[in-house]
Amino acid sequence: MEKCFITIGLEVHCQLLTKAKLFCRCGTDYIGKQPNTLVCPVCMGLPGSLPVMNQHAMKLAVRTAIALHCEVLPRVVFHRKNYFYPDLPKGYQISQFDFPIGIHGYFEFFSQGEKKKVRIKRVHIEEDAGKLVHEGPNLPASSSGVDFNRCGIPLVEIVTEPDLHSPEDARDCLIALRNIVRFINVSDGNMEEGSLRCDANISISPIDGQMGIKVEVKNMNSFRSVHRALDYELQRQQKCFNAQQTIIQETRHWDEIHEVTVPSRGKEEAEDYRYFPDPDLLPYLIQTDILEEIKTTLPELPLERKERFMIEYELTEPDATVLVQDKALADFFEACIKELNKPKFIANWVITEVLKNLNTLGQNIGQSKITPSSMVELLKMIDKKEISGTIAKSVLEEMFQTGAKAKDIIAKKGISFINNEKELEKIVRQVIEQNPQSVADFLSGKEKALHFLIGQAMKVTRGQASPEMVKNILNKELLAEG
Amino acid sequence: MPETISPSEIKKVVSLSKLAFSDTEIEKFSLEINNIITHFDKLNQLDLNNVSPTSHISWRQPPTNPDEPHAWAGREEVISHAPAVVDGYFIVPKVVDKQEE
Amino acid sequence: MNIESVKNFTIEDYIHGFQKKEFSPSEITRLFLDRIQDLDPALHAFLTIDEEGALKRAKDLEDKKFSDAELPPLYGIPIAIKDNICIHGLQTTCGSRILQNYVSPFDATVIEKLKKAGVIILGKTNMDEFAMGSSTENSGFRPTRNPLDPERVPGGSSGGSAACVAALEAPVALGSDTGGSVRQPAAFCGIVGLRPTYGRISRYGLVSFASSLDQIGPLTRNVSDTITLFEIMSGQDERDSTCAPYPPFSKNDCPNEDDIKKMKIGIAEEYLTSGVDPAISDKIKKIIELLSEEGFEVINVSLPHTDYALEAYYIVAPAEASSNLARYDGVLYGYRYDHPINLQEMYTQTRSFGFGKEVLRRIVLGTYCLSSGYYDEFYLKGMKVRTLVKNDFDQCFQQCDILLTPVTPCLPFRFGEKSHDPYQMYLADVFTIPSAMAGIPAISINCGYYDNLPIGLQILSAPFQEAKLLAFSTYLEKRLLVPAPFIETIADRKESL
Repeated sequence: MEKCFITIGLEVHCQLLTKAKLFCRCGTDYIGKQPNTLVCPVCMGLPGSLPVMNQHAMKLAVRTAIALHCEVLPRVVFHRKNYFYPDLPKGYQISQFDFPIGIHGYFEFFSQGEKKKVRIKRVHIEEDAGKLVHEGPNLPASSSGVDFNRCGIPLVEIVTEPDLHSPEDARDCLIALRNIVRFINVSDGNMEEGSLRCDANISISPIDGQMGIKVEVKNMNSFRSVHRALDYELQRQQKCFNAQQTIIQETRHWDEIHEVTVPSRGKEEAEDYRYFPDPDLLPYLIQTDILEEIKTTLPELPLERKERFMIEYELTEPDATVLVQDKALADFFEACIKELNKPKFIANWVITEVLKNLNTLGQNIGQSKITPSSMVELLKMIDKKEISGTIAKSVLEEMFQTGAKAKDIIAKKGISFINNEKELEKIVRQVIEQNPQSVADFLSGKEKALHFLIGQAMKVTRGQASPEMVKNILNKELLAEG
Repeated sequence: MPETISPSEIKKVVSLSKLAFSDTEIEKFSLEINNIITHFDKLNQLDLNNVSPTSHISWRQPPTNPDEPHAWAGREEVISHAPAVVDGYFIVPKVVDKQEE
Repeated sequence: MNIESVKNFTIEDYIHGFQKKEFSPSEITRLFLDRIQDLDPALHAFLTIDEEGALKRAKDLEDKKFSDAELPPLYGIPIAIKDNICIHGLQTTCGSRILQNYVSPFDATVIEKLKKAGVIILGKTNMDEFAMGSSTENSGFRPTRNPLDPERVPGGSSGGSAACVAALEAPVALGSDTGGSVRQPAAFCGIVGLRPTYGRISRYGLVSFASSLDQIGPLTRNVSDTITLFEIMSGQDERDSTCAPYPPFSKNDCPNEDDIKKMKIGIAEEYLTSGVDPAISDKIKKIIELLSEEGFEVINVSLPHTDYALEAYYIVAPAEASSNLARYDGVLYGYRYDHPINLQEMYTQTRSFGFGKEVLRRIVLGTYCLSSGYYDEFYLKGMKVRTLVKNDFDQCFQQCDILLTPVTPCLPFRFGEKSHDPYQMYLADVFTIPSAMAGIPAISINCGYYDNLPIGLQILSAPFQEAKLLAFSTYLEKRLLVPAPFIETIADRKESL
């Protein structure tokens, strides 16, 4: 295909940050728990059990729809999606069909420097299924084990229109979407832990603006996989087209190990889900005051926050962009500003040194040992020139590693604050006495000699003096000499 | 409305419902179900164009749950009555096909 | 004391007897357990008899030594429960082999309420499998006989509970009604059966057949006991989204006799068609004449969509059932096919083997009505006709307070009489289905006998107007003075069952 018009749409599932499941009172912290311990008659689908909707889950789904600029439908109506699978105890999933929480939305994100817009087809709420294991120490051969702990966890499903036109766009869109759901405190959005999942539909066509045969791609478990899987699929489809083979409309899953997409087994005919309104759950009218409350308490979205940083703190766009990549980082940044009102100064240190340390340790700010207070303690010392930048960097590194406070580290290391003018004057006079040649050089106009003398003074103080202060004192003394 | 449902359509529906019948049983079912379905034709005498469907008998706003977890104590009982359990997992014949979600 | 001495007892009579120490809960429990032992081998009303549990419970109640003031409202009252209502620690089979040994790990809400009120559960009663049927012949185990004529059916699907109360194996019982399954067996067995307004009694713990239609209802020998049980069982439940957030019914809501006399009685022409057995229609006409003579205003009303309700029901109910019964797959509970070669076989053999013919038929029918390409043709149409049926009743109750109709078009039929053609069996519910589709309350009371076979009279009212319905039923019961059935023994019959 000479020119190739690529169309990609995403279907994203996020686990909602609720304490209880969607239709029962079981807890949601299932990771690491023994199998079938967070269960009850409702989420196990025992005969006679009935679902009752978790109101907070509904509110989080509405919040998501509003954040994505959707029209929120007035009634919450649940439909049953009927199919058989061992991780689905009722033989149907309670989901939404005709009347999702939100429709006709959009959001904007950046991909490779360009601002892009994606329309949101729908946002709806549904329950998660259980988990299957296929191997285990005591698991009989040719058996699988079912764990219902995850069954009934609330999910919000976000479906985009096919507005993405490259695998990079798709990946960046997903990252931005993840950021949004984190910013609005609706989901952890963690692909590794399974609280964010993504399926994609991709098609190619030689005609601009036209969609080709849609292929669904599943089992992409990281942002990188999304990019690579779609990239692979794009190439595969192009090869088919060039070889004049028909592209089959099918579902394929991404094989991370072999880095290819393969057709999913057991999908010869499309499943007929026989959606119908769930008679166990009456339509729930979202009252106007609840809707207003959700609208007015909507946390700031990433792009909004970035723009505010640029205006309020006069940060550059690149700097602001980095700070809003992670809500926790943006929160950390602003918490520091509360204690020390020097946003640009703080931004500089966060973007360079804090991120550097986080990357080295493979942590995010929430996992790190530093707090805004401990950070500000160090920054104040730098600001007051009590310690040099170099020293501060190594102190910060140790703070990240041990969680100790700046003052304690400095005291332990014997780094004393040589900001005592009298003490520095003594040292400077010593240096002047010991380096008569350099002094003479300086006095005869060689600027370099001053730097040498500063260097000598810093050596004596083992780098613990403020270079600015040393320079000033030297100048004073030398002028006195001269 | 179709006059009759063919045995092959019945087969499809039977498969969707996770049932399995012999060919004679399928034929018998076809006859019985067609017999019932022919009665449904009566509903076509009504003009339903402007009638909204009743999907629920709903008198008021339904109750909702608060977002507070509450543990259930009956888990052991369910495990003790299950057909097959190993290490706390409910055991089924190996699941081979990868399906949704 | 003997069983005959309590044949006309109300719950109040038992309570007074306990208070006056004329008898104890243990004695009464023993009385009924003996009665069950005597009759049930031929009657087959029970699937589980919990003799040990019942006697222990009676003793525990007695040990509490309640004062008269503290006595719970159903203290020591023996009750039988239809086997689709969950009781913690007892089998709940729904009359199906697929749940043959299933023991529920929780109590239904109504059971919690009844236990708190002091009942003594005697056991679980037989039913058409998963409540699908009108004769109890569809039970996965064995049919129940009608105590009034053992060659005839007791009705269904709550046939076991109805037979049990008619035979005085228990003074009261619980059933469930989806398209008539409390009212029709009540009529066939000569007792009282109430279907409450949809959502008035919690469904939590009632194994679902058709969720938008199922309701639990009491089966009793007199209207007073129905009122007493309804007071205890009704009321909102946070575990059932469809349970209406209204307070429990109170008999104080019932109008007094003067107001009862002012009630307008509606008679719908669509219910007095030529298809009704003349014995039934004659009886009902006589009652209407009697009421007119007493000064009641009797109005002719029309419910024009009555004739379409049955077809709509047999689309909607099987559709919901096909989904509700998908959970019976052998994974977590109940019967599982031995040695399946793979998962697919485990599903299909478990279900094809575990479910009986009528259930299989309805699952296939229901799945078809929901399937791609047929949803609009069937399910959507069924829901629309439901709206019309509901509107009929709304309009009707603007003209009258209560409606009087037959319960069934026929007298209790013989075993096997309607089994050859499923649709013939469905027609038995033609008068009970419309009210279920609309969600309105309805009661069946015994209004007389023909050839020793009981005739049921159905009284209906607007949603949440059980007060009117029950008050009128009490009034009529006093006027008609039809005795509750009592039999000495189940007559010997051929072992054709």
